[in-house]
Amino acid sequence: MKSSLRWIAAFVLLAGLPFFLGSYYNDVYRKMLLWITLALSYNFLFGIGGQVAFSHFAFYGVGAYSIVIFLFQFHLPFPLAILLGIALCILVALAVAIPSTRLEGFYLALATLALAQLFVVVLNEGGAVTGGPGGLANYRLPEVFGVRIAGPWYTVVIVSLLLATFFVLLRLDRSWFGRACRAVRDNPEAAAAMGVDVARTKVIVFTLTSALAGIAGMVYAFVDNTVNPPIFGLENAFLILFMVIVGGSGRHTGAVIGAVLLFLLPFVLSPLVGHHHVLVFGLLVLAAILVAPKGLIGFYDAFRRS
Amino acid sequence: MRDLLELAVSATASGCVYGLIALAYLLMIRPTGIINFAVGEWAMVAAVGGHLLLSRYAWPYWLGMLAVLAFMLLVGWVTERIAVRPLVEKGAALLAPILALLGVLVITREIISVSFPPDPLPVPFPFGFGRLEFGLLAGSYQSFFIIALTVLVFAGVWLFFEKTLWGRSFEAVSLNRKAAALMGINLSRVTALSFAGGAGAAGLAGLLVSPNVSAHYLMGVPLAIQGFTALVIGGVGRVEGALLGGLLLAFAEQFTTRYVPIPSGYTQGVPLLLLMVFLLFRPTGLLKAKA
Repeated sequence: MKSSLRWIAAFVLLAGLPFFLGSYYNDVYRKMLLWITLALSYNFLFGIGGQVAFSHFAFYGVGAYSIVIFLFQFHLPFPLAILLGIALCILVALAVAIPSTRLEGFYLALATLALAQLFVVVLNEGGAVTGGPGGLANYRLPEVFGVRIAGPWYTVVIVSLLLATFFVLLRLDRSWFGRACRAVRDNPEAAAAMGVDVARTKVIVFTLTSALAGIAGMVYAFVDNTVNPPIFGLENAFLILFMVIVGGSGRHTGAVIGAVLLFLLPFVLSPLVGHHHVLVFGLLVLAAILVAPKGLIGFYDAFRRS
Repeated sequence: MRDLLELAVSATASGCVYGLIALAYLLMIRPTGIINFAVGEWAMVAAVGGHLLLSRYAWPYWLGMLAVLAFMLLVGWVTERIAVRPLVEKGAALLAPILALLGVLVITREIISVSFPPDPLPVPFPFGFGRLEFGLLAGSYQSFFIIALTVLVFAGVWLFFEKTLWGRSFEAVSLNRKAAALMGINLSRVTALSFAGGAGAAGLAGLLVSPNVSAHYLMGVPLAIQGFTALVIGGVGRVEGALLGGLLLAFAEQFTTRYVPIPSGYTQGVPLLLLMVFLLFRPTGLLKAKA
């Protein structure tokens, strides 16, 4: 009872805010919410599942591109386009995860690095289907039951996405599956001895979080109403990893803090360092790993204990 | 036939470059278990260094090359000091230094991108631009230069591991860190040397490839992917495996570009495909480690 009240309060607060924001700040707010959504699902993969992957943003892109292509190039109905987009994410995720997670070590990191690199190439070379380097634009969210969601109401959709993702991940984390994931991360041999199928757990975590990223991408496709290759490059794949590390990996709150901080930091830094905020991010990450391996949330924990 | 052999020479040359990157990974993985994805950026730094010394300040090639390689050894050593040793001494999990090195990757690339213009930076050829022909075998000066130098480096590394006491101590560390330390082998010195050597090998690869492709701050990641794929193909167990894997990957790439009618950009998918195939069917790589 208490917890459902908390969820409703969070929804009202987050969904009410966009109605008081101008269109510029609405745009900033939407993107921040999407980054938080991505950071939460990536945290489950990297922080809780212990897998280093660079494909999270590529799956975000697969989701965004697939919904646009299925809807406006192939003219499929809206629900079918959503289902096919999710199916595509799952298929690609399985194809990468099954070979890479069979072995100990960091093969997934390399495979996903190659996948992320290849994804941008496919977008650029895709001709009329992907729109090439210019991407696809000039489309609008289809009407659902005769209503076209727009303006702050679309922000409400994003808030729902964020809370739904958070809810799913939280429930998973607190189930046997979440404990299995942490066991696999901390000691695969011990986990296997306890009866956890290590390879299968890894594949499921990777596929699930990748599909969540894909769904977020579908929502993103109608934020700017344009999708183009540079957005989905490796830069952002690193950024999402950095968000989780700086915030505190393995902690949902940490992922939220990291995402908000690293998303807002460029706005603060741009008068000082121009477009070179990525350099600052790199230094922040190195400092976090060397000095504060638990991330920013670790400071909060230490503060509460004392 | 002529065409095929010409292609084979150029594929061998790029295979040698991948092999050197794979060697860089291998030098660091064997004693420490750490995968350092920043090797691609190290190759990039050396290429930019080549541009700076050879093209902008017009140093003689050999002098410039030695200076860049010496600088790379220093870069590797400093990286190990800053991003790896503190974590190893704290007893952090293996993932920590790997992530720290990802931070180093981004920092390195951003420093270069801030300091140099975003256009491709030209690097001169050591012997100018020309063709060499041995009967049917023909290729550019640079291709033969790359092949010759890579063979020398691999022979040197192989001899080092097989014949010298120092090389033996590296092997001992890669087999069992604790036992090696108890036998009186200085672990941190081995680790520092392996990073310096890795940076040297990656730097050499960057220098050798840069006259053909020009130095650019984004050239690192593709090289890092290709080099690691070469390592997976060849197997981490043996030095020769790195070269073999590099050659195989380069032949697969170049023959795909030449004979398969797809846009040339898609050849970037070849490493991923080979990687998947090898992980599924031959996870130990082509060459098995010696017992």
